[in-house]
Amino acid sequence: MKKTRYFSLFILFLVLLGFFFVLNIAVGSVNISFLETCKIISQHLTDSTNGTIIWKIRMPRALAAILCGAYLATSGLLLQVFFRNPIVGPYILGISSGAALMVALVMLGGLSMGILGIHQFLISIAAFAGALGVMVIILTVAARIKNIITLLVIGLMMGYLCHAVTSVLIAFAEEKRLKGFVLWQMGSFSGFCWDEVYLVTVMGGALLLGAYLLCKPLNAFLLGEDYAKSMGVNIMVFRFLIVTFSSAMAGMVTAFAGPVGFIGLAVPHMARLALGTSDNKVLIPGVVLLGAIVTSLCDLIARLLFSPVELPISAITAFFGAPIVIGLLLRRRTAI
Amino acid sequence: MKKTQNHVTRDTITKHGTMVMETRNLTVGYGRKTVVADINQEMLKGQFVCLLGPNGSGKTTILRTLSRLLCPLKGAAYLNNRMLSDLNSDELAKTLAVVLTERLSPGLITAFEFAAMGRHPYTGFLGRLSEEDMRKVQEALGLVNAEDIADRYFNELSDGERQKVLLARALAQEPEVIVLDEPTLHLDLKHRIELIAILRNFCREKGITVIVSLHDVDLALKISEIVILVKDGKIMACGSPDEILKEETIARLYDLDCARFNSQLGTVELMNNSNGKMVFVVAGGGTGTPVYRLFSKHGFNVITGVIHENDIDCHVARSIGATVIDERSFKKISNRKLGRSFALLEKVDHVIDSGFPVGSSNSRNLKLALKAVEEGKQVYTLRSWKAACDLYGESAENMIYCDGLPSILEKIVRREA
Repeated sequence: MKKTRYFSLFILFLVLLGFFFVLNIAVGSVNISFLETCKIISQHLTDSTNGTIIWKIRMPRALAAILCGAYLATSGLLLQVFFRNPIVGPYILGISSGAALMVALVMLGGLSMGILGIHQFLISIAAFAGALGVMVIILTVAARIKNIITLLVIGLMMGYLCHAVTSVLIAFAEEKRLKGFVLWQMGSFSGFCWDEVYLVTVMGGALLLGAYLLCKPLNAFLLGEDYAKSMGVNIMVFRFLIVTFSSAMAGMVTAFAGPVGFIGLAVPHMARLALGTSDNKVLIPGVVLLGAIVTSLCDLIARLLFSPVELPISAITAFFGAPIVIGLLLRRRTAI
Repeated sequence: MKKTQNHVTRDTITKHGTMVMETRNLTVGYGRKTVVADINQEMLKGQFVCLLGPNGSGKTTILRTLSRLLCPLKGAAYLNNRMLSDLNSDELAKTLAVVLTERLSPGLITAFEFAAMGRHPYTGFLGRLSEEDMRKVQEALGLVNAEDIADRYFNELSDGERQKVLLARALAQEPEVIVLDEPTLHLDLKHRIELIAILRNFCREKGITVIVSLHDVDLALKISEIVILVKDGKIMACGSPDEILKEETIARLYDLDCARFNSQLGTVELMNNSNGKMVFVVAGGGTGTPVYRLFSKHGFNVITGVIHENDIDCHVARSIGATVIDERSFKKISNRKLGRSFALLEKVDHVIDSGFPVGSSNSRNLKLALKAVEEGKQVYTLRSWKAACDLYGESAENMIYCDGLPSILEKIVRREA
């Protein structure tokens, strides 16, 4: 009975995902008819203006939204189970703050070395370096401490530290550069190119697979660290893998799209409530699909609502997602 | 079971059975802080081992060390003759399961899925349950009478049901040893007894060694084969409960000032804190017990006699700190004891005849009531008028007839006032 429910829900998720993907490609500030879109895609026409828009702009962007949404949601789920805390998201360990600090150094500080137009790629590198730096520090700490809640607090403190330095940089920054940084901080999937999509697919795909292989110890962790240990889970190895996978996924997304808030926190809840289970074998695929769907939808809204002006993706995710999560939680008797 | 057979040659076979767990000079604690030192204990296959002690005495610390959630500070624990720290985590998980006190909130997990977590050390990389695993989980749920709640979410279960599911999870791990930390906490009497019965089944039918910390001294006395008393950083005593759970030992273990544990009855009686008033109860055959309890509760000094040593009245009266004039079991009441009773009778104003059954060995007790009437004391009886006439003859007219204990109390209190 449960299996049929999962099966039908997964079919529904796939249909929805396909629908939003097509919509993301077919709809935009430039009006391209559906028939033409179909023709451009099926015949791989890249030469015309519309062909360029679809193949070079909309397609990579739609794919990026799907991939990044899936990674963020999975990253959030891993950390929620690991810390046994429902209000934990992928950025709880200070990943986004580390990335923001490095980006601020590049965009606002002197690190751009007088280069006027800052290349998107440089920002990505900076963000990834920042996320990686925080991750390494957290991992070093994780190997020494006994209690995982200590790790959570240290992650929060790392976040505050990075944020403090970023604030100082903001205080001294020029105004025109500041706007760029503020917009980066709110995240966006615009400007994704195919190379980046390939990179994100391969790297993220490997991490996602790794996360799925952790579903057995993750399930044991639902009962807490002591029980997990008594059932044969090697806590230190597991801790290392969880922090690595979740931080790497979040860091990668942040590097290319900026910190996209809310998805990682809310989608695990949505998936749990929709599927009615906390079993990670089912939940991880569910979270991947739902993360992709929600992010695609949010990106669509961000692009269309005040087209041609594009809204920051984090604003949309929070604005539409928060009420949904609250509603779902209130309707449920069982606490998650 | 294959596991046990492989190890059998190396096992120490004591005269009582196969040794499963052993501690040698084990000192447990956190960091530099020693909690309990020098624990030397053998635990055999299928034994029910119970840790007793006041809160904070270190029972949990011992149990956590035995289940390797905590490292020993000194010495070591051995499981099937191998040092606990030498086992790899899978081996340990297949031999030892735990039930902890921590309140769980595992999310949207059904009771069946929860119990199935116990299969963790046996399933493959992704934790998929085989037919056999499913059967074992089902069987475990059956053994703890939890089949009917298998499809409900764990978070929606009552405390008693949760505890059963926790037991099923531990059982599904197919361990040789189950360590439980205060499993009866928060449970009502019915669930407490059911849980203990289930654990005893584990010992007897599955040959599992159960190591458990409890607060119920009476339950511990009745079901465990070994009790370990933990107090003030050391093992105060350990061994069979019949030898160890004596009144003074329990009083010392829990620093009891105003209650006494009675090992024959396995109950705790509150001791009398007197208001200075005295009653003499002529009792026997268990009829005195409710009288003692009531008057003791209301602060009376209770004197009772003559009671035979094998009488339940004797045990209860001693436990609540009453003055007891006792006679050896099955002997007729001697002149000496009767004389002593007369002497004590002088001191009181109120005498209660509990309506005890009269036989050849205790018929002299009737003289106590008669003497009291003779001396003009208030004699309250729970017998009917007719029964009293048969026993006491003319003196029956001067007794006060009461149709229940409360009415005696009421009459005495009114008179005292």
